[in-house]
Amino acid sequence: MQISRIASPLKLLTIALKVGRVTKKYPFGPPLLTESFRGAISIDPAKCWGCGACTLVCPPNALTMRLEGEKIVLEYFKGRCIFCGMCADTCPANAIIVTKEFELAATSVEDLKEDVIHKMSKCAICGKPFVATAEIRDVMKMQPITEEYANICPECRKKRAVKAFGMRFGAST
Amino acid sequence: MSMKDVVKEIEGKVVEFGGVVETITDTAVFVEIPKERVKEFAKWLYNAGAFLKTCAGVDERSINSRFAVYHIFGLDEKGIDVVLRISSLEGEALPSIASEVPAAEWCELEARDMLGLHILGHESKPRLVLPQDWPNAVYPLRKDVPYDYRPPSSVENFGKELPSEVGLPVGPYHPILHEPEYFELYVEGERVVDVFYRGFHVHRGIEKLAESPRFTYKTIPFLAERICGICGFVHSSCYVLTVERAAKIEVPERAQFIRSIVLEIERIHSHLLWLGVAAHILGYDAGFMHIWRIREPIMVLAELLTGSRKTYGINIVGGVRRDIDESKKKKALDVLRNVREEFKRFVEVFTSVPEIVKRATGTGVLPKDDARALSVVGPTARGSGLRRDVRKDYPYFAYRLASFKVPVYSEGDNLARLLVRVDEVFESISIVEQLLDALPRGSIAVESYEIPSFRKAVGAVEAPRGEDVHFIITGHGRPYRWRVRAPTYQNIPALKIMLRNTPLADAFLTIASIDPCFSCTDRAVVIRDVRSGFRRFASLFEGRRYANK
Ligand code: SF4
Ligand code: SF4
Repeated sequence: MQISRIASPLKLLTIALKVGRVTKKYPFGPPLLTESFRGAISIDPAKCWGCGACTLVCPPNALTMRLEGEKIVLEYFKGRCIFCGMCADTCPANAIIVTKEFELAATSVEDLKEDVIHKMSKCAICGKPFVATAEIRDVMKMQPITEEYANICPECRKKRAVKAFGMRFGAST
Repeated sequence: MSMKDVVKEIEGKVVEFGGVVETITDTAVFVEIPKERVKEFAKWLYNAGAFLKTCAGVDERSINSRFAVYHIFGLDEKGIDVVLRISSLEGEALPSIASEVPAAEWCELEARDMLGLHILGHESKPRLVLPQDWPNAVYPLRKDVPYDYRPPSSVENFGKELPSEVGLPVGPYHPILHEPEYFELYVEGERVVDVFYRGFHVHRGIEKLAESPRFTYKTIPFLAERICGICGFVHSSCYVLTVERAAKIEVPERAQFIRSIVLEIERIHSHLLWLGVAAHILGYDAGFMHIWRIREPIMVLAELLTGSRKTYGINIVGGVRRDIDESKKKKALDVLRNVREEFKRFVEVFTSVPEIVKRATGTGVLPKDDARALSVVGPTARGSGLRRDVRKDYPYFAYRLASFKVPVYSEGDNLARLLVRVDEVFESISIVEQLLDALPRGSIAVESYEIPSFRKAVGAVEAPRGEDVHFIITGHGRPYRWRVRAPTYQNIPALKIMLRNTPLADAFLTIASIDPCFSCTDRAVVIRDVRSGFRRFASLFEGRRYANK
């Protein structure tokens, strides 16, 4: 025991001298992140459709969607985000990228929120707003459906189909 | 005896006791036993060498108008689980098996608290999980209680259930699922004569939350990962493993490897963290700093492989979300080689300084028999001579393909538990190296899967602190019931035995030696002198002050 009482600190001293200083001069000096690091996300409003797929997979509900009159608002609340990147994996429009941003402190909660605002299109039959305009635009680019069909809300689409079906079979609707 | 014979024998016994075998899978046998005879059956199982993993109360009224308790036993030597179901109508009594299997006490009390089951023999015991001021007839895990229910606060009820000689100081409240804890140590002079424990101060209701419409099979891994701040990946792994078993999803081999690799990296960081904190508690701060310095590259490596230093977020049902490419693999091997060298050099110093060796030798002893009776897990079990390791006993993911030793020490003291962890760091480094070298090609996740309702499965993963157990009954879109048993849950009852009759100065290291989650616990201890009634608070790190007395 007596020997180790002296020998151990000496050994430790040699280790310490060899290693030298390890404290990094953050925030100066080269970045401390690796290439894989996941930080806050960034939503490109020009690409986003307002479809809401990301809000369904976001585990802590950091992404939410709400209706404000005739607008759809996609809200990103950094205070809740766990930086998992599930939203970016899911977004059909590739509108979300995962950045390396991690210095997110803010002095007010509002500064942690970001909104993407979408105008809604009105249904060509009943006139109710039902979907983000951007979604119709981009979906039509990808799918061979006519504007006439895309501009109608699901409710009216159903009614129209029932009617067409009834007429074909001579029912008295 | 082969697996088939074991299952045959169990089947025979079940029939003998008037029960039925429900399902048999590769890893588990599900049986139903009439509740009158469950005690005998449990006793037989226990004497046949089974450990009690946990039990889970389930409100099954919407399926069969009954309440059920599932006792989950594990036959370590055979690598199969035996899940024993007993059930009753509302208000009917259920027998307890705690007299035959002492480890069942806690989970039965939990089922009583959370579901309002009438379990014989537990009527007069104080609440285990629910707080003192929780209203009487509200049982949170019953399906008719909404997940966001908040009780009106009623200060009057406070303290009524505690034994009268114990006051209830405010706090300590610690922010984690099964690990927040509060000890009152009764001392005579410098010796601890008794221990009072009260935990679950901030039970977060994660099991209930996962049943709510806010979560789906897809998002629960991220919730599971937040059960623990240090070994969260264990929980998300255990969750996906259990769901995959229930739904019989074949996970690509590459994903299995990646999961095992990340789990071992987590173990390395966790053990290094603990060794550092143990050094700190004993007043050897130079050791603390050096170990944490050695640990830092492991944290950076975890970030490189997963995208995050902690709470990696790469587990999903059916696979993983991040791949390990050649350049990452090369970097990982470099880091591991360096860490092994550095740690080896440091361990020589660490295990020879008297601050560590003298204080840890012969203190906090947990004899093997007690360890067996309480079914303790992880380094706590292995330090007391029990060769228990889920990675060997119930191989999952890629562990079957790695060769490693399970370090066991028979002394049962703090030093034994410390040395188990030291050895395991080396073993884990070697496992990661082997698996990285043998990483198979292929995809890292299945394209799609279906999860049928009302399938049951048990999954277990070896966490740094011991066996982590999840039990799932599947439902529509999310589990019908998800039961989580963190390793510390199994180990805390053993502290009573370890602490009795030890000097007060050693109590701090002993409490720490089971490695309850440190990230989220600052762990205050109340010390009370039996003779003078004097009482004060101490934090865990104050142990060193007492050391020199
Ligand atoms: S990174 Fe994860 S938590 Fe954050 S917004 Fe996307 S899905 Fe939600
Ligand atoms: S387009 Fe992408 S970002 Fe926009 S709402 Fe849909 S999923 Fe979210």
